[in-house]
Amino acid sequence: MGYPQEETLVYDIRLSSVGPGQVSGTDVFHSPTGLDLTMKLHYLRTVYFFDNEVAQGITIMRIKERMFSWFNHYFITCGRFRRSESGRPFIKCNDCGARFIEAKCDKSLDEWLEMKDWDSYKLLASQQVIGPDLSFSPSILLQVTHFRCGGISLGLSWAHVLGDPFAAFEFINTWGRSMTYLDLNKPINIPRPVPKPTGHGPQTEPVSSKRVDPVGDHWILPNNCKMDTFSFQLTGSQMNYLQAQIWGPSGDQTPPFESLCAVIWHCVARVRPGFEPKTVTVCKPDPGHGNDIIGNNQVISKVEAGGETSITETDFKVLASMLAEQGIDERNQIEEAMEKDEGVADFFVYGANLSFVDLEETNVYDLELKGKKPRFVYTTLQGVGDDGVVLVMPWPKGANKNGSDGKFVTMILPEDQILKIKSELKINGLLLESDF
Amino acid sequence: MVGVSIEVLRFGPQEILNLWTSLHFNLIQILCSAFLIIFIATVYFMSKPRTIYLVDYACFKPPVTCRVPFATFMEHSRLILKNNPKSVEFQMRILERSGLGEETCLPPAIHYIPPKPTMEAARGEAELVIFSAMDSLFNKTGLKPKDIDILIVNCSLFSPTPSLSAMVINKYKLRSNIKSFNLSGMGCSAGLISIDLARDLLQIHPNSNAVVVCTEIITPNYYQGNERAMLLPNCLFRMGGAAILLSNRGSERRRAKYRLVHVVRTHKGADDKAYRCVFEEEDKEGNVGISLSKDLMAIAGEALKSNITTMGPLVLPASEQLLFLLTLIGRKIFNPKWKPYIPDFKQAFEHFCIHAGGRAVIDELQKNLQLSAEHVEASRMTLHRFGNTSSSSLWYELNYIESKGRMKKGDRVWQIAFGSGFKCNSAVWKCNKSIKTPIDGPWADCIDRYPVHIPEIVKL
Repeated sequence: MGYPQEETLVYDIRLSSVGPGQVSGTDVFHSPTGLDLTMKLHYLRTVYFFDNEVAQGITIMRIKERMFSWFNHYFITCGRFRRSESGRPFIKCNDCGARFIEAKCDKSLDEWLEMKDWDSYKLLASQQVIGPDLSFSPSILLQVTHFRCGGISLGLSWAHVLGDPFAAFEFINTWGRSMTYLDLNKPINIPRPVPKPTGHGPQTEPVSSKRVDPVGDHWILPNNCKMDTFSFQLTGSQMNYLQAQIWGPSGDQTPPFESLCAVIWHCVARVRPGFEPKTVTVCKPDPGHGNDIIGNNQVISKVEAGGETSITETDFKVLASMLAEQGIDERNQIEEAMEKDEGVADFFVYGANLSFVDLEETNVYDLELKGKKPRFVYTTLQGVGDDGVVLVMPWPKGANKNGSDGKFVTMILPEDQILKIKSELKINGLLLESDF
Repeated sequence: MVGVSIEVLRFGPQEILNLWTSLHFNLIQILCSAFLIIFIATVYFMSKPRTIYLVDYACFKPPVTCRVPFATFMEHSRLILKNNPKSVEFQMRILERSGLGEETCLPPAIHYIPPKPTMEAARGEAELVIFSAMDSLFNKTGLKPKDIDILIVNCSLFSPTPSLSAMVINKYKLRSNIKSFNLSGMGCSAGLISIDLARDLLQIHPNSNAVVVCTEIITPNYYQGNERAMLLPNCLFRMGGAAILLSNRGSERRRAKYRLVHVVRTHKGADDKAYRCVFEEEDKEGNVGISLSKDLMAIAGEALKSNITTMGPLVLPASEQLLFLLTLIGRKIFNPKWKPYIPDFKQAFEHFCIHAGGRAVIDELQKNLQLSAEHVEASRMTLHRFGNTSSSSLWYELNYIESKGRMKKGDRVWQIAFGSGFKCNSAVWKCNKSIKTPIDGPWADCIDRYPVHIPEIVKL
């Protein structure tokens, strides 16, 4: 669903670049790991909305000024990709910088958020991908859009090859701190050296990552069908109700994420008769890993339903338990599969199977500008495979004292499955009539 | 005089008295002689040119947000000139060999893809650069705005109405009887022309302060076309500016850093080729840019020769002048094939500030004047750190020498600048007092990293 005036919704586009204030040095290189390179066809797009009390007094000049010191820490993200002699991509830290986009929108913040036109969010965060000119493609694009009421949005376009969503959100949170504090008290990223070739491939081929035909230097995933996106929110009460529906009054519940994904899994299976997703991928943060070094560290597990029973006939409890307990971390296999070819092959993860990404702990609403939190944070992915992705973000409004917090769910699926999915979700009480 | 004094001292006081009475002076003769002596002394002191002191100067330090690394410059070029890959290729080759570093700065309007050179942005850049330098100068010297008697601003390529000097007068509320001048269109050597003008004015106006502001405003002059000869300045010219306080007040003698000794101006404009070698014109598509001719180096060499022919006799020791004269006579009379003797200017100066117009200019002068690497270090490092900042580059170079702690009392400095016209101007300063390493200034945070080795070609 798109508005005919989409192209003129956001206008007066100006491009420039921001980079590190300090020289990173000559011949400084960062080598992404095999896992990083596996994710190179995916892009994270996230938009933060701030009310006009926050936006007043934050000029473009001030934002850029603070970014120059912020990028001193993240100088690696300001580099550009090259290929080594073997064809393995690496980053030359040449301070080229991130693209900075300024734009205006004729709508007020309220009008925009009421529209719920998820497609037009593309206008607030650049859809540019890396390539075809590898050495002149920025990995990060930042867009500041001014709304008629004085509110602003900050759109981050982040190449997944740099790091997982947690790294991306930590990146933005650091920017937020840099707007207030001069000293970021954060170690500067250390570039990674080239990993030693392992020689052998994985013992078992991973299921969560799939190979694609070579895409060369244009890092975008070729889809067989057109993908579309929609989002909906769930209040804390709805989450509680859902848990009660699945588990009854017993205290033995799976966490809300797994329960929610179980229901969605069931709905997707009903929409794909004969092609039910028997295997799904679950991405969660790595509890043991801090966010200091940039990279892809999130846990990527496969959950295989197996057996003869179809998903549509499996109880929610069983599905939820499978998701919670039977995930097998495939990161090592994924890494080895990529390293077997010395990092030259092209793989993808999101959408290789139906993928559930747990972004509940991303603390996006902790970002504070002038002491105020963002009104709304929207996140989506670009470059998603045909099996689709479900992103679960936190939703701070409607949080309950006892029980679950609210959730904001974004689903990226093939266009022709969207309507059917919506009706399935309605049947299961996840989507209310009022949410289109 | 010394001999006579010694003789007189050898006499005792009684003998001196005897000698005095024997001379039979009468009162009138004594008075006349005294008046004559006083008259001659007065004429001497009145006709001696006033000493011009350089009290202090301040250079503009661009903010870090204006930084343009090579990679960013090239990426922007590729996006702006996407229909002209050959021009982009050309710019890349220039940049690789330019001798510029990764910290040179362009004004905010030029950071946009494509650049947005509005008049407002140009004025913004002018205010940023000039007011920064002026504030810094006021801080360093304790000068009050009301004490400025003469104001000279030179900026070649941006000349709005009201002028930049009027802008300064407005900002700092200078006096209504100030003598202000605004020099435009005079190229990279305009800084020394301003110094010359200030010197002449300070001869006429006693007890005065003159502030000279040298800058070049990049915003309106970024070439937006794709003619190669005109793309060259885009690669080299960068943001910069300097404000200098000159004075002829005796009270400044103690704290002034330098004394102005000579200014020599040479203009080769009478020659057509020299006149056209740096020429602002429109390309085929109507974009205005500065076209640099291929003969630039040769013409610069000629202009330099003219300049040093005038400068030589003023500064060189007698031995060098004699050698030069003898070789000249020999070449004219005996054998034209004798190699011309290049006087050793290292005997006349301790420090050299060669306008950082480009790597080729510095190389050429180093060769012509037979200078060592250390002599041209200030120029090369200024080109690396700040790029070609046009008329203000000489001041960044001087500041480099001071920041390295090399400037001692009595040291002589030779500033040489080239500019469109074609002109070669030079100034000679003598250091008035040993200068402590500055704690502020454009080099304060990076002087320890210099000198750096600048490779022939920097791979992007």
